[in-house]
This record gives sequence, structure tokens and C-alpha cells, in this order.
Amino acid sequence: MDRRDFFKRVAVASAASAVLTVPAAQARDRASRKMGSIIDLTRCDGCVHLNTPACVTACRDKNAGRFPEPEERFLQDYWPQDFHEDWSSERDRTDRLTPYNWTFVERVEVPGGETVFVPRRCMHCDDAACQKLCPFGVIGKSEEGAVNIDTEFCMGGAKCRATCPWNIPQRQAGVGLYTKLLPKLAGGGSMYKCDGCADRLANDEKPACEIECPRDAITFGPIDEIKAEAKRRAEAIGGHLYGLDEAGGTSTIYISKVPFEVIDRAIALDKAHTQDDLPGRPHMRPEIQSSLQNAGGLFVASVLAPIAGAAAAGIAVYKSRQKERDDA
Amino acid sequence: MPEKSAATHTPKVVTITRQSRSNRIVHALVASSTFGLIVTGLGQMPFYSRYKIADIPGLTWLGSYEITLWLHYLFAFVLMGAVTYHILYHALRREFAILPKRGDFKHSLQVIGAMVRGQKEPPSEKYLPEQRLAYAFIAFAIGLTIVTGLIKVYTNVPGWNVSDGMHFWSAQLHNLGFFLVFMGIIAHLAAFLFKPNRKLLGGMRHGQVEAHYTLERHAHWKEGVQKARSALAGQTPPESAAPKPPEEETPKGDRPCEESAAR
Repeated sequence: MDRRDFFKRVAVASAASAVLTVPAAQARDRASRKMGSIIDLTRCDGCVHLNTPACVTACRDKNAGRFPEPEERFLQDYWPQDFHEDWSSERDRTDRLTPYNWTFVERVEVPGGETVFVPRRCMHCDDAACQKLCPFGVIGKSEEGAVNIDTEFCMGGAKCRATCPWNIPQRQAGVGLYTKLLPKLAGGGSMYKCDGCADRLANDEKPACEIECPRDAITFGPIDEIKAEAKRRAEAIGGHLYGLDEAGGTSTIYISKVPFEVIDRAIALDKAHTQDDLPGRPHMRPEIQSSLQNAGGLFVASVLAPIAGAAAAGIAVYKSRQKERDDA
Repeated sequence: MPEKSAATHTPKVVTITRQSRSNRIVHALVASSTFGLIVTGLGQMPFYSRYKIADIPGLTWLGSYEITLWLHYLFAFVLMGAVTYHILYHALRREFAILPKRGDFKHSLQVIGAMVRGQKEPPSEKYLPEQRLAYAFIAFAIGLTIVTGLIKVYTNVPGWNVSDGMHFWSAQLHNLGFFLVFMGIIAHLAAFLFKPNRKLLGGMRHGQVEAHYTLERHAHWKEGVQKARSALAGQTPPESAAPKPPEEETPKGDRPCEESAAR
């Protein structure tokens, strides 16, 4: 991104922000366009007959042109730390989320000898903490509810990963805005994750993973229909849902016969056994909360603070006038 | 200002009230909450962990986005309460001496130039022209952080969302506001590198400034001059009181608009 692009983008963003808040009618329209997805674990078989699950290949193929291309000279440790995150030499990895792999299928061996295949990617939260807490405001949300990171403006501080209930976004060093500022001292690259095929959803098209899934395990649709369908399917098999209430609600709903706490425990055990402490293999803890879930009460307090200040001012002015009258 | 004991045989320092208790409390609240907001605001970036400050025993909490966010809210409440109080209190009492006036930029250069060259400064009102400009600058910067911060508080509420442009600009302008506040504080503190300005420190510490200082430097501060003369009259013979303020030199439009009543 050169300087001209930068100013062009600033001008575009300025124009976009001319409408400050989402008007009610637009908000209704936005709500009506909101999409969701079902990931049905009773259908997913991890494409065991393929080297790579079809959804993973489809995602990689579609997004290959958007994968980071770091410059070697910027691949240096985050001073004063003695590490940097570089996945550019492991672009073929499909066993976890990386900047080059935005979805993967977790193979989970649960007690009883059963194997569950869990496609993982961004959950596209209703109240995405990554978006709301990004210190540079470069994470957006489409009308369809797809959460996107602007990788050109991202500084790669990885706060979005830290605040994401599942630590989904992954960092690549040597790319992004920081390379044009103070690459040795500040910034860490850019963050990458599934963008929900926002471009396709905006054109009423199906995302790549859904199109290529041979077992119809992934289904996108209007959020209300998706929720209703997920509940219907879970009820029919006496199964469990994940993503409906987690983190205050997401637009990705998993259906499973195996309870999610069992799946979560199995993932944790496997990571412990294999001493896998790298990022990119999310947990599946039921009822996980967003760090912003209690922010509503603080909003009320933020309104009360000026009221308290105004009341104190009124009292102080009254007393000062009274004193002036007494002194006169 | 501590008065020196007569036993030391040094003359008493005669002082007058420059800042009321209300002003001093507001200043202390704004300063302390702004300091807290800067510390916790930096905690909303990957700052303390990256630069190993959170590794220092006792400062681990600085590396927690959650803890620093809630503390940021807490300091913001104090700041918003103090700012609201400050605006309303002075608006209701019609005290506007701190607001910038026409010609302040030019007069600031004259005052600063005189300070640098060690020459006699042109007389000032209660506030120096550069103080009024600094106030406006810091008030603008704090106002910017409050408005953009409130938008961020609003968007953080579950179920409440704004456009992507609003997200982008509230974050960018909040960061800009932080930068401006920070620069404003540096400039505010740097002002005390100049020796003549250090006499003003007492005004915010205990409310008092020296009467002689008031007559010499703030000769256009009518109420201050009156108080200084009265105070000195009670201490020294009338003929030794400071000279009459050179009101005839006051540029038109630079007169004190509303100086505070007894503070």
C-alpha cells in the first residue's frame, strides 16, 4: 500500500463514516441480511479419503491470493522479545489455523473409541470482541455478519487473538502497515482468519467450504432459519449445540451427538499429550464468555458519571453564592 | 505557601488566593484520572507485554487487556465527572478567564520571548496568554478522547453495533486524542522549565501565589491586583506597594472578561 492508496483509503473511510451510526431502517435491513451457518459434526467425516479435507482445500484455493507474502528483511524478532511469528515456511500446514490456513478439521478421539471431526474457523460472533476491542478499528463486519480483518491497516499486535474467546486470528510477521513505520520497534505483522467468504455472501452466493463439502456438513443461510434448523436437527438426534449462546451468540452453530465438553476435554488432552502449545487449535469449552459480556453495566455507569459531576457542580455553585451573600 | 517564621528574621511572604479549593480538586482529579487513563489506555495495546513491562513483579496486571480495560473505564468515569463539574461550575458562575482571547498567540510569543531573553514580560491577566491557549488545546484533546471514548463504550455493549467507518474513526481519533493529551501534558510540564512560571505552582498546590508576583506579572488581573494590594497594605507601608498596573497599555479586546469572584 503506497501513500496514494493510504490517502485514498482514508478518504473512502471518511466518506463511509459520514453516516455515524447505523440508522434504524438500515439496521433492520442489516439484521434481515444476517447469515449464519451450521457445521453438522454428525455428517462431517473429515474427508478421510482425501489428503486434505475438501473444505480446507476450497478455502485455501479461494484465498490463496490473499495469503501474506512477507519480505525477508522484516522477518525479525519483535524487539525486545526473542521471537516472531512466521508461518511462511509452513504454508502447507493444514493441521491448525495459520495465516495460510483459515480453516482446518480437528480429528478428535473421544472416550468410547469414537472419532469426531470438527471443522474449525472463525465463529463470526454477534458481538465480536476482536472487532470491538481492536485498538485501530480495522476489523469490520459485513451486513451478512462476516467479521473481516483489514490486513493492510492491521499492526499485528494480536490483541484480536488474545480477546477472541477461541483465539482464532493468526499472525504473520513481515507484512502489513508496521513494515512502513517502525518495523524494529513496534507492530508484529498482520492477523489472518476466515472472513466468512464475505464477498460471496454479499452476492448471495455460498461460501467455498459449503460448496465443496461432499457431505453437506456445512450449511449457510439466513440466521433465523439456520438457528431453527440447528435446533430441529439437534432435537431429532438428541444432540448438542455449540455457538448459539457461547460468547453471547455467534453465527456458527455446531451440531453434535457427543457433548461438547467431552470434545473439548479430548482436544485439551491431545494438545497436552503432544505438547502442542502453538496457537491455532481452538478449544470447544461450552458457555465460554466474551470479555465484553458485562460491558452493559459499565455503559450505564458512564452515563451516571457526568450526572454526578453536574449535581456536584450545582451544589457547589449554590453554596458559593450563599457564601458570597453572607459575606456581602 | 508556608509563611516563614518571624524568628528567622526574614520578611513574611505575602500571598493571595489564586485557585479555589474547587479548582484545585478538579485539577487533581483531571490530572490523576488522565494519568490513569494513559497508563491503562496503553494497556489496551500490546504495549506492556511486548516491552516486558508486565514482566516486572507487581506490574503483571498491566499485561491483561481485561483488567486495564475496566480500570480505563473507572478512570474515565472520574474524568467525565470532573469535566462536567468544571464546565458547569464555571459556566453557572460566568467565569471565563481561562478561555483564549483574540491576540493570545501573538502575546504568548511576546511573553515567552521575554522569558527566554530574561526581559520584562508584558503584563498579563489572571492567566498568561499561553496558559489560555494551552487550556484550549488540552480541553480539545480531552474532549476528543471523551467523545470518541464514549462511542467505544457504546459499541462495547453487547448487541449495540455501529458502522465499520464509525469503528475505524472512533479508534483512530481516540488514539489521536491520546497523543494530543500526552503532548499537551508534556508542554504543560515543560512550561515550568522557565523559572518565572514556577511561582504559579503554588496556585495549584495550595491555592496561593505571592502578592508581589501577582502585581508584577498579572497586573491586568483586576481582582488579583486588588487582593494583592490589600494584602500588602496590611503588611507593608502603602508607599512600598507595587506600582499601579499599566492599564493604559492594555490592548483593546484583551481586558479580562470575567475574573472570578472571591475564590
